Amino acid sequence: MRTPLKFPMYAAIAGAAALAGLTSSSIAQDKPFEGQTLVVGVWGGDIERLLRENVVGPLEEETGANVELLLGGTGDRVAKIYAERNNPTMDVAFLNIYEAPQALRDGVVEAPDPELPMYQAIWDGMNNGCYAMSLVGLGIAYSKALVDSPPEWADMWNPEYKGKIALAQYPGSEGDGLLGIAARLEGTDETNADVAFSKLAELKPIAMTYTNLDEIFTLMEAGEVAMAPMISGYVLAGLKEYPGIGFSFPTDPGPVLIRDMLCLVKDSPQPELAKMFAEKALGIQNQTAYAQELFFGPTNKNVALPEAVSADVVDKPEDVDALVALDWPFVISQRSEWTDRWNQEILAD
Amino acid sequence: MSQARTVFLLLPAFLLVGGVFLLPFLLLLVTGFWTQRPDSWIVEPTFTFENYARLFTDPYFVTAFARTIWLSVLATLACLLLGFPVARWIASGRPGKSLMALLMLMPLVAGALLQTLGLVNLLSLLGVVNGALKSVGLIDSSIRFLGTQLGVLIGLVQAFLPLMVLPLATVLAKLPVAVEEAAMSLGASRFSVWRRIILPLSMPGIIAGSVLVFCASLTSFVTPQVLGQGRVPTFATIAYQQAALVLDWPFASALAVALLVILGAALGLVSLLKHKVLARGVPA
Repeated sequence: MRTPLKFPMYAAIAGAAALAGLTSSSIAQDKPFEGQTLVVGVWGGDIERLLRENVVGPLEEETGANVELLLGGTGDRVAKIYAERNNPTMDVAFLNIYEAPQALRDGVVEAPDPELPMYQAIWDGMNNGCYAMSLVGLGIAYSKALVDSPPEWADMWNPEYKGKIALAQYPGSEGDGLLGIAARLEGTDETNADVAFSKLAELKPIAMTYTNLDEIFTLMEAGEVAMAPMISGYVLAGLKEYPGIGFSFPTDPGPVLIRDMLCLVKDSPQPELAKMFAEKALGIQNQTAYAQELFFGPTNKNVALPEAVSADVVDKPEDVDALVALDWPFVISQRSEWTDRWNQEILAD
Repeated sequence: MSQARTVFLLLPAFLLVGGVFLLPFLLLLVTGFWTQRPDSWIVEPTFTFENYARLFTDPYFVTAFARTIWLSVLATLACLLLGFPVARWIASGRPGKSLMALLMLMPLVAGALLQTLGLVNLLSLLGVVNGALKSVGLIDSSIRFLGTQLGVLIGLVQAFLPLMVLPLATVLAKLPVAVEEAAMSLGASRFSVWRRIILPLSMPGIIAGSVLVFCASLTSFVTPQVLGQGRVPTFATIAYQQAALVLDWPFASALAVALLVILGAALGLVSLLKHKVLARGVPA
């Protein structure tokens, strides 16, 4: 009695197996990167959160890949991609504007591809070294108790504020930007480092070098620090909690243009996934979220922001034109020497 | 157990220590002699003494080393002076000794950053300390603690006091009360008891505590970085600046190796001292 069942039984098993094969192959087609891992090096905190919401989540959903975020500062990432340059494990690295062109020159990142739509969507001339991710300007955070109206750069040299100007740690974009401004106030630019340093040294004694924003904001609100050059962006987001502190985008000269860059690591294990990640990160949804929540200006020309957000963000061609652009490759080449000069000529009493 | 078997069983430990500690350390050692290409961050294995030459000829770095060692010595002495009475209290079994021991342990579990940011609030120009001093009329205008060596010193002492108190308390607890009582009964003053009995007998604790505080101060990063506000460069803050911001890894490696050599030398000196002191024994 059991024999007749044999055929249907086998058929059923074979059918089920075929069906399973079919489904798994169709899954494989839908999710071509199932089981693969993309490694992205990025800052933690709000940036990580927004990337998880707008880029990592959708990318994992669409491709089946797993995206691993390695959090840290750019120093860690640069060290990693340089050390592993013959055998990279990181696919995407977020770097600062002053690091990206050097990384390209040293051959550790892919040159941005002008043929790609994501390249073309970005403001012209912004993809130096890597893809431009966000735009911020170096302006002046100031204590409203000590400074009546939004200051210009020259106001920092007003004797009234002597000893009350704070600086970020050097080397960094803030210090390099301020050197560029000091030189411009003297009618030259950062390539004339002697002029820049001696102008900046006039600000001595420096009130403090700050390492975190809460620390400097507390002292600024208490009136111990009058002004500090700071990068817009999450400084502006953070300032909403400090009514006693204002942020000025100076006009003569304008704020210094500073960019976060998205770099595709050269010969990385997952070049396709890395590109897909970059497309989403540079895309309208993520860049809009960056602007709305972190006050990071979009590099993508197609992002349209509500007026209220646009006011605090570098997002229009005229905003970009008003910014001071530094000769970053030159600045980078001077890094070690300028650090020694900064330590000795600016910070030492 | 046969020798081969012992070696076999120890092999995982050797591999672990070799792989995660010795190899990176050797890499650090050789990187200090390597070269960074001009206008590039690529490090090349081309031998050079330049990094060490820069370290020992540039007055900025030499001064920073001297400052680091000086601050560490001061921090050690301050911890010893402040820690001794506390250790004696804990060791003596007086009321409140458990609470005192617990309070002493707090900084060790709180983490360096949290404590240091707390100190920023205490020591700033409009902070709690200046406010209190002004309100009792001791000062008219605020004292600048932050961004000065004094501020960093206060931070180091606050952070590392437990490293002095704990070994001292352990040694002092073993000191029989009868010895002190015997000395006093024979007419010794309190000062002589302290100088000729307590101090020599607690020497192992003093040495252990001093070594711990000195080494911790020498390598401390968060305290000088935050409380020094960029104006009190030390070994650790300079190494951080060169490695993480300037990205000059060969020079940063040379700095790290120089720090290790100083640590090694200090430990060697202390071990010599310890042998001498302990060999001398307790004065009769």
